[in-house]
Amino acid sequence: MRNRCKQMLIKLSRLRLFTSLTLSLISCYSMAATPTIEIKIQDHLFFPATIEIPANTKVKLLLINLDPTAEEFESYELNREKVISGHRKAVIFIGPLPPGEYPFFGEFYPKTAQGKVVVTAP
Amino acid sequence: MFLNSVVLILQEILEAALLISVLLAFTRLRDVGHRWIVAAIIIGCLGAFLYALNMAQISEWFDYVGQEVTNAFIQLSIMLLLSIFAARHLGRPDHQPSQGHNREFILCMLFIVSLALTREVSEIFIYIGGAITDPSNVQPTLIGAGIGAGIGISAGVLIYYSLLGLPSKWIALTGLLLLSLVAGNMASQATLLLTQADWLPYSRILWDSSELLPENSVLGHLLYALIGYEATPSLYQGLGYVIGMLLILIGTKFTVWLNNAAPKS
Repeated sequence: MRNRCKQMLIKLSRLRLFTSLTLSLISCYSMAATPTIEIKIQDHLFFPATIEIPANTKVKLLLINLDPTAEEFESYELNREKVISGHRKAVIFIGPLPPGEYPFFGEFYPKTAQGKVVVTAP
Repeated sequence: MFLNSVVLILQEILEAALLISVLLAFTRLRDVGHRWIVAAIIIGCLGAFLYALNMAQISEWFDYVGQEVTNAFIQLSIMLLLSIFAARHLGRPDHQPSQGHNREFILCMLFIVSLALTREVSEIFIYIGGAITDPSNVQPTLIGAGIGAGIGISAGVLIYYSLLGLPSKWIALTGLLLLSLVAGNMASQATLLLTQADWLPYSRILWDSSELLPENSVLGHLLYALIGYEATPSLYQGLGYVIGMLLILIGTKFTVWLNNAAPKS
């Protein structure tokens, strides 16, 4: 049950990711805005744990921490590190990146908080 | 929780340990007393506490990139202070300083260490503050933090005595080179933070040594904490590093001093 819920959540967030990405890509062409991707942190997990972004594009990650405790977004491959306070939002810009997989994790709760950015060729 | 706590705190303490050990070695060379470090640690920890308390608000400045901008500002301030310090106090090892000059020497180091600790220790406070909200985590987190801090401080003591154990004419020179690495690291981190905040544009990756020496290996972590090793540094990071180092080395009229330090025949 929990697994199914989780899968649905992932599917939903993928769908939302897809629409928001398409929308932001459209707006990218119309007003040169950076596409934004939302990642939620809850119970020391990232939702979605995998995000897909196009190659050679700068992307704005909007991290929303739903936990009461702070988390630190960290990625060696992306060269990114940032503390996100409990119940707060934070923005991290990544890219433009070549195609590949870029893992990230929560440095404060690395056992559970794991995710990756998948950069796909256009 | 325990191991994570050890690693996290150790990394933050190590970052400060190199800077503090080198400055303490210069204090020893100048023979002005070590009391300033106690004041610097107290001010730094107080600053870190206030910074940690207000981190949530600060992070929301400038459209949610306030943390990067503030940290970059602190890093660049430390780099500038270090270059002023090096230029005014490390260039003339034989010079007999006046009392006022000594006071400025101490004040400069006090500022530098307080600023560095404010940034580094705040992260420790934020981590511990979150971890101990779960009662079952209190003990492993605090014991881990104590061990991490212990190892970090021991490493600092080791650096300090290794420096002072060098032949006397090499102590100041090695100390200066280490300070230039610290300044380079600060500038490099500042450019990275500003890129993360989109205040600086993207710049290409200079090299990829992640196969040779991964950042998440033990040595990678150690070098990252001490001198800011990155497996995939950007062009701006490289430039920042070089400029930071040059500011220190040129500031002290490095070449002139090298000539003076060389044994005269």
